[in-house]
Amino acid sequence: MKGRVALLGLCAVLLALLPLTGDDVLIQYGIDALLFATLAQAWNIIGGFAGYASFGNSSFYGLGTYGTAIAMAQLHLPFWVGLCLGAFLAVVCAVLIGLPILRLRGHYFAIATLGLSATLSAIIANLDISGRNIGLILPLTRNDTMFYELALVLLVAATGTVAWIARSRFGMGLIAIRENEDAAQVMGVNTTLYKVTALVLSAFFTALAGGIHAYWITFIDPASAFDLTLNVRMVIMAMFGGPGTVLGPVIGSFILTFVYQLLASSISTAAALLFGIVIVLAVIFMPRGLWDLAGGLRRLGPRYFLQNIRAHRL
Amino acid sequence: MLFAQILVNGVMLGGLYGLMALGMALVWGVLNIVNLAHGAFVMLGGYCVYFLFTGLHLDPFAALPIAMVVMFVVGYLLQRYLLNLIIRSSHLNTLLITFGLDVVLTYLAQLAFSADFRAINPTYAGSNVTLLGVTIPLVRFGAFLTALVLAAALWVMLERTRLGHSIRATSQNLIAARLYGVDPAQLYAVTFGLGAALAGAAGGLYGMVSQVTPYIGATLTAKSFVITIMGGLDNPFGIILGGLFIGIAEALAAIYIGPTFTDAISFGLLVLILVARPARSLRGA
Repeated sequence: MKGRVALLGLCAVLLALLPLTGDDVLIQYGIDALLFATLAQAWNIIGGFAGYASFGNSSFYGLGTYGTAIAMAQLHLPFWVGLCLGAFLAVVCAVLIGLPILRLRGHYFAIATLGLSATLSAIIANLDISGRNIGLILPLTRNDTMFYELALVLLVAATGTVAWIARSRFGMGLIAIRENEDAAQVMGVNTTLYKVTALVLSAFFTALAGGIHAYWITFIDPASAFDLTLNVRMVIMAMFGGPGTVLGPVIGSFILTFVYQLLASSISTAAALLFGIVIVLAVIFMPRGLWDLAGGLRRLGPRYFLQNIRAHRL
Repeated sequence: MLFAQILVNGVMLGGLYGLMALGMALVWGVLNIVNLAHGAFVMLGGYCVYFLFTGLHLDPFAALPIAMVVMFVVGYLLQRYLLNLIIRSSHLNTLLITFGLDVVLTYLAQLAFSADFRAINPTYAGSNVTLLGVTIPLVRFGAFLTALVLAAALWVMLERTRLGHSIRATSQNLIAARLYGVDPAQLYAVTFGLGAALAGAAGGLYGMVSQVTPYIGATLTAKSFVITIMGGLDNPFGIILGGLFIGIAEALAAIYIGPTFTDAISFGLLVLILVARPARSLRGA
């Protein structure tokens, strides 16, 4: 265990040193990858541990984005105040929405959260303070190294939180809820409190990632801030890596971002197509993610794939 | 008079929405798959009718049955050889794989048909009848009638035929249906094919009242979703009613609140319904 933590710390330090290469394109890809990994990790808390497939995380992302943008572009406050405002909005939204919506289960929870970002985006598009449909322009800062290190710190914080959850009583409660909510309640888990807390934590990290992205990209509008495909990408990355594990979502999102960038730069039009094929094949052959695949291959070899199909086919 | 006109427009559009959602509801109710590629099937159906119309100069309404057969085959093969492999996986996995399918179909369509807007414009596209001061475009009225006829046909099929009985039996209790001799692999594929065929018909009609591009799928999937929840999974006419409701709500919202709000209205209503009446919604979960 100690060795593992040391190894991870070493990885984080190596990642932190990446800007020293001075390669601008690499750093920009890095920021993208780190923010996506954070989003996948944040989704992992509510989706992987508590088992609630949230499609509302893009709303939290949008609120974080707009919180930061409104604070900086409209109120001329410093960046960190904007980040706090965005996170605050997202957390409040998570509590207000979580209490009624977390009563729903399965597909119904997913759909209700799906409606959330569409509704919020329409509201934002009609408010003056958020620049209506046109969007907002943030002050320009050309400092990619700073954004890179911020994104890295955020990812480490999110992963640290998930590592704590995985070993805590709180995490056990969430897993119990995922496996059988009624049984968890009977065993004395305060399911409402646990679920809302998980959603709030998820919203918090998602909003911070949104705030950093907003300041980095300097222009936001309702369509890009509340983009549902972003939420779908979070889910795919977390599921690809291994939902409910500590490192799976991070590794999954690193690999998928890398594959996608590679495809996009070599065969631009067919990149999305191949991405879709990767998702389909991944669901068939490794339905529990890379993390499970690693263990399964060691245990069973190639028979692992056949076993997955045998377990889930009709 | 304006109000009556808006109402009529909403009803015409709503019938089409209802038909679109019918296929999704059928698949959801029987296979417990929320098919995120449903909108992509609608899109493919639209292209099917478009090419039959422009290539073979078939009347678009006559091309509908052909598009339905094509889409049935597509749906049948996808379920038989792909989705049946993961049908017992967690619900998130079925969501993911159909999302992957949606991406694949969308970009295949983009490669094959380009991203141009395609509209199906038969000679009578512009004609309409005026009744009591309300204008009814013929094509929209035809689309509305087709939707009603197909919903009725589905209902008769489910209630009266042997295939319909085995579909309903399977949706109620898979094991019992199996004991009575239903082959689930075959039946699932047929049901999914029927859902795709209904989507294909809706796509052809959609191409006549609007335009088809490779990217129309996502919003249409979302709409079908909302309507399915509102209408419930057990009755085709409930779904049509849900479609009408959404169609009218959108038409009213576009005029009285603002066109940017149309999607927010349908989703807002959905969230309200889910939260206010969870017991009813949860029954199928």
